Amino acid sequence: MNKCTELDIQEMLPDLLHGKLDAEARPRVEAHVASCEECTEELEVLRTVKSASVFIPAIDVDRVVRQIPPYRMIVPAAQAPARSRVVSWLVAASLAVVVLGGGSLLMIQQKPSAQRDVVIHDRPDQQGATSRLMLPKRVPTVAQKPPVVLEPHPHALAMATGVDGLSDGNLRQLMNDMNGFDALPTTEPEPVISVDNGDGLDQGSR
Amino acid sequence: MTPSPEARPEETDMELIKRWKAGDGRAATRLVGRHSQALARFAASAGEREEIEELVQDTFVRAFASLDSFRGESSLRTWLFTIERRLMLDRRRAERRSRETVPVEESDHVSEYGALDSMIAEEAQEKVRKSLEALSPTQREVFTLRVQQGLSYKEIAVVVGSTEGAARVHYHHAIQTVKEFLRDE
Repeated sequence: MNKCTELDIQEMLPDLLHGKLDAEARPRVEAHVASCEECTEELEVLRTVKSASVFIPAIDVDRVVRQIPPYRMIVPAAQAPARSRVVSWLVAASLAVVVLGGGSLLMIQQKPSAQRDVVIHDRPDQQGATSRLMLPKRVPTVAQKPPVVLEPHPHALAMATGVDGLSDGNLRQLMNDMNGFDALPTTEPEPVISVDNGDGLDQGSR
Repeated sequence: MTPSPEARPEETDMELIKRWKAGDGRAATRLVGRHSQALARFAASAGEREEIEELVQDTFVRAFASLDSFRGESSLRTWLFTIERRLMLDRRRAERRSRETVPVEESDHVSEYGALDSMIAEEAQEKVRKSLEALSPTQREVFTLRVQQGLSYKEIAVVVGSTEGAARVHYHHAIQTVKEFLRDE
């Protein structure tokens, strides 16, 4: 058998079989097949293969169509992801509001207890700046130069180590500043242990 | 007398899809009627043994459910073949898992053709069946899509998820194998 050299035409044999060639290509391919032993054989093989699977189960079209939902039923399903995204954002926003609100309430509830504790912040900085005291104004008695360090409450705002490093002048200045405070505590502060070491600073500051 | 909408042969797939989206259920009937036999033939040729009608039905249900994603870049039939092929692959994977057998590629194309015994009666067709058994699954898909469905290599590449060149190579090897097999018989 002669080997076909017109591979581009040989490739079109299935198209010839299915009548897919245009008016220009079809006579060219048919003419080649008529003169080519290999293509004649191949076309016969293709015909046999094509007809080999004609015995297929009949498809009940109506039955198939009944299983297909109408388009209006499908479209909402297709849009569902967009809606669920909106819902997700709403849920996320709600959760954020709850968390922030709850956190704020907790902070408000904890704030008074923080104010109850006396925390002195304080060592002077390099320029000898005035130290700050975080203390409610109406505290009955305040340790001016405590030999005993007041342990800050765990929730208190700790600003520094203590007043050990303050000079007498600075301590007096602090007490003067305290007298200038006019803010009232929101709750009754817990009593603070008075430490009187008898150095007379209290009287001196008045 | 005015012909019924179903009787209009010039109506394209895209026009029918448009009608179906507009609420015309008859358009779906026409589309299914137009492509169902081709899908069944492809399934049988690819080696599906049973429940071909269910496979075709699942293909249409999936296709209609995602028609919005069909852009018309390929023909509707090519797109349907693509969906059907994926379903067939899913089926085969499920069967493989249930059988728990390892050599999948080689064993499948032998066992899948058992059901064709009842379909092919004539001797020549029996030879064809055996020759197709000698092909790899991909070669068989490409070959049947080209010979039995008349798809172009470009369309076949879409269906099997490959390239046009690869589809040509698969077809070339397949036709040589089939011809040699039939020559030796």
